[in-house]
Amino acid sequence: MEPIKTEIVVLGAGPGGYTAAFYAADRGKKVTLVEQHPRLGGICLNTGCIPSKALLHATEILREATDSETRGIEFGEPKIDLDKLRAWKESILERLGQGIKGLAQKRGVQVIHGRGHFEDSHTLRVETTEGQKFISYDKAIIAVGSKPAMPSAFDLGNKRIMTSTEALEIQDIPNDLLVVGGGYIGMELGTVYADLGSNVVVLEAMPSILTGVDPDLVRPVSRAAQKSFKEIRVNTKVLKMATAGKQIKVTMEIDKQQREELYDRVLVSVGRAPNYADLGLENTRVTKDDKGFIKCNPQQQTDDPDIYAIGDVNGGTLLAHRASKEARIAVEAMLGETSAFENIVIPAVVYTRPEVAWCGLTETEAKERNIDVKVAKFLWGASGRALTLDRTDGLTKLIIDPDSERILGVGIAGVKAGELIAEGVLAVEMGSTARDIASSVHPHPTLSETLMEAAESFYGMATHTLTARRESA
Amino acid sequence: MDVKLPRLAEGVDSGTVVSILVSEGQEIKKDQPFIELETQKAVGSIPSPESGTVSKIHVKEGMEVAVGQLLISISADKNAAIAKPVTGEQTGASTAVERLAQTRTPMSPTSTEVKSATQWEDYRYESKSGAAPPASPSIRKIAGDLGIDLTRVRGSEAGGRIVLSDVRAYIQRLQQRSLQDVKERHDTGSQPAVSQTESIDFARWGPIRRERMSPLRRTVSHRMTESWTTIPKINQFDDADITNLLALRKKHAPAYEKKGSHLTLTSFLLSIVGSVLQKYPRVNASMDESTSELIYKDYFHAGVAVDTEGGLIVPVIRDVDRKNLFELSKELHELTEKTRQRKVSLEELQGGTFTISNQGSIGGSHFTPIIYAPQVAILGVGQGKPKPIVVEEKIAIRTMLPLCLAYDHRVLDGADAVRFLKEVLAGLENFPEAQVKLK
Repeated sequence: MEPIKTEIVVLGAGPGGYTAAFYAADRGKKVTLVEQHPRLGGICLNTGCIPSKALLHATEILREATDSETRGIEFGEPKIDLDKLRAWKESILERLGQGIKGLAQKRGVQVIHGRGHFEDSHTLRVETTEGQKFISYDKAIIAVGSKPAMPSAFDLGNKRIMTSTEALEIQDIPNDLLVVGGGYIGMELGTVYADLGSNVVVLEAMPSILTGVDPDLVRPVSRAAQKSFKEIRVNTKVLKMATAGKQIKVTMEIDKQQREELYDRVLVSVGRAPNYADLGLENTRVTKDDKGFIKCNPQQQTDDPDIYAIGDVNGGTLLAHRASKEARIAVEAMLGETSAFENIVIPAVVYTRPEVAWCGLTETEAKERNIDVKVAKFLWGASGRALTLDRTDGLTKLIIDPDSERILGVGIAGVKAGELIAEGVLAVEMGSTARDIASSVHPHPTLSETLMEAAESFYGMATHTLTARRESA
Repeated sequence: MDVKLPRLAEGVDSGTVVSILVSEGQEIKKDQPFIELETQKAVGSIPSPESGTVSKIHVKEGMEVAVGQLLISISADKNAAIAKPVTGEQTGASTAVERLAQTRTPMSPTSTEVKSATQWEDYRYESKSGAAPPASPSIRKIAGDLGIDLTRVRGSEAGGRIVLSDVRAYIQRLQQRSLQDVKERHDTGSQPAVSQTESIDFARWGPIRRERMSPLRRTVSHRMTESWTTIPKINQFDDADITNLLALRKKHAPAYEKKGSHLTLTSFLLSIVGSVLQKYPRVNASMDESTSELIYKDYFHAGVAVDTEGGLIVPVIRDVDRKNLFELSKELHELTEKTRQRKVSLEELQGGTFTISNQGSIGGSHFTPIIYAPQVAILGVGQGKPKPIVVEEKIAIRTMLPLCLAYDHRVLDGADAVRFLKEVLAGLENFPEAQVKLK
């Protein structure tokens, strides 16, 4: 059979893959996009960012309804129709998936559904429902993403032990839910189930949830979770799980003491693993790093010069927007441009209650690397907007280079922190100084003012807080 | 009036501001020093050309300034108001912005004359945080496409942010500079020095620390490379028996001390060299390659290498042939002190015709000094140590001084060099007491 000839083949149609395919097509290349799932969009759209945020929004209303009782508005007991909730969520995914499909068509990107397998460095075999297809390409981009890690000790084949993928389906609302792993996925989905009415217990092996995030940003989340969750147990390891009738018997170790508990469902959220199994990488010159992720240079090029890799398969921070940025770099590098993934600010957002978002240098990192910084903080208790939202559980901080007054990093905890961080990203990318932010008028009353006030406090002249004047060194 | 950096000395076209001795609004008198400047050769102060009030200081400590660059403004009117920054920023908390505005003024892209060649050439963005130079993504993209290293571009916006005009100015200067280089290379026929260390990433093998070389260090480095690569050098070794000389010194040193001087081995050497040089004019000469001429100098100024905190400095003692041992000792002592305190003037560092490098006070034996071009020879002196040697067919313990005469073989031949060194040896071994004794 005559192979399909293309200039660029992109393997995987997540936010990395479809961005790469579309951008390459926009730059005049003949592109083929290979995706094994029927719906385009990858993990992000199908079993990641989008469905989880849909559920978080829906369940947030439940929380808001309860909270509004103190404000004199009562709704009574909510009725939850899981089928309808799932259908609404599904409609979003379908709409987005169709959108991507339409955009691919309009750009002339050929989409082939099926599993891809590298035959050699310039040939991809795709197993489709219509049989095998061979694609002969000049360059390839691997963007196959990652999947939830399931340690084999927990993999009993019991449907009550879920990863995020199954948890997003919300088969039922378990009475007792154990979340193993207090990272962002565990905390976000834990919030969804807690709001729906489950008694949620989070187990974290490390001394804190959201490991790696600045402690002052985690604090509002811990405080809120202690109220809405049944319990958060840190420094706790799960040793064993076993089926016990319609429940799961979980053996854990706390303070060197073993403990057995029964749960209706268990969510395992202990990390994610790259998806390159059965990809035929052994037929190419692509190599892996010591953590098992695909190794590539700052141009996203693997050790096989005609194969690039972007997104989760490369490890690092597994974020959709990083994959999208890498997609553009990979395409530009293929076109002979000097683009490289260097000095690029990648923001991170955790959609907990409240949200946590940060970008650039963190306070923790500054301490670890012994970098002299000044931290300008603004607590949301002094924000008019936060008070009107009844959400003063937040803080905004700027990490500032004391000599140049340049903003090196921004950290925000609070409702809508994810939306607010965009200004921080722009500030860091542009090399702005704290004065640039302080001098830019922010609309009142908004949460965005907290960035301005934090900058003002660096100069000891924030309107709504009293801060020690900065000694004019 | 605007006070600019005056031409300081031959070959000195820039310096680093060590300290600013006046402040804005302060009265200043004519000839009153207002800035201390470290140049490639020394630290010196710049005197005010007239009396008045300092209305504005345009530089700050640590800044590198070039000849012709604006340093301060002096207003003749004593009541002149201090110039307000035109940024419209309120004073008080905005000190950092003002500071930046001030430091920026002299190098705003509007004044693009090549006045500050070294100043921009040596610029390197550094941030303790390891952050890349502040510039928007679009500027970084342009720099990447053009292969411009942004750490070399000085940003003109707040916090040192680089904007398009900065990149443009940088490229223009780069071109100007490269054309100049081509011309110079063409004129001198020399090859450009290639820096080998630039591309090696030493951090791969362990933690490293980068420290900016001081102007002095850079001068030393430049001079040494030049000497090493251009001069066909021979090292002539010998040992002088200084047993008697040391005895002489011991005997007379207290008298010298009383009169505020130090009798050292170097002072003896200066005296000896002063007389021996007269007999070997080639050792005191220089070569002019462009005209294929030897330049004989009828004066004998000896440089003495001095170890300072900042690095090697070589002040010059004039007319060593015409000064007696006491005068030489006194001058040597004073000049050395001045040099250590970095107060030596530029004049005092120039015009040497021969150099003595005495490491004896620290230790060491023979070493091969590098010729201080355009001089022809340098005498390296180690530490005198008691050694068993043969004197009149018997083993005796004598204090032997290791010497090495390094010389430029283009000018001086081996035979003359040996003769010269032998005479120096003889001078050390038979120094007449009459010349030591104070009257």
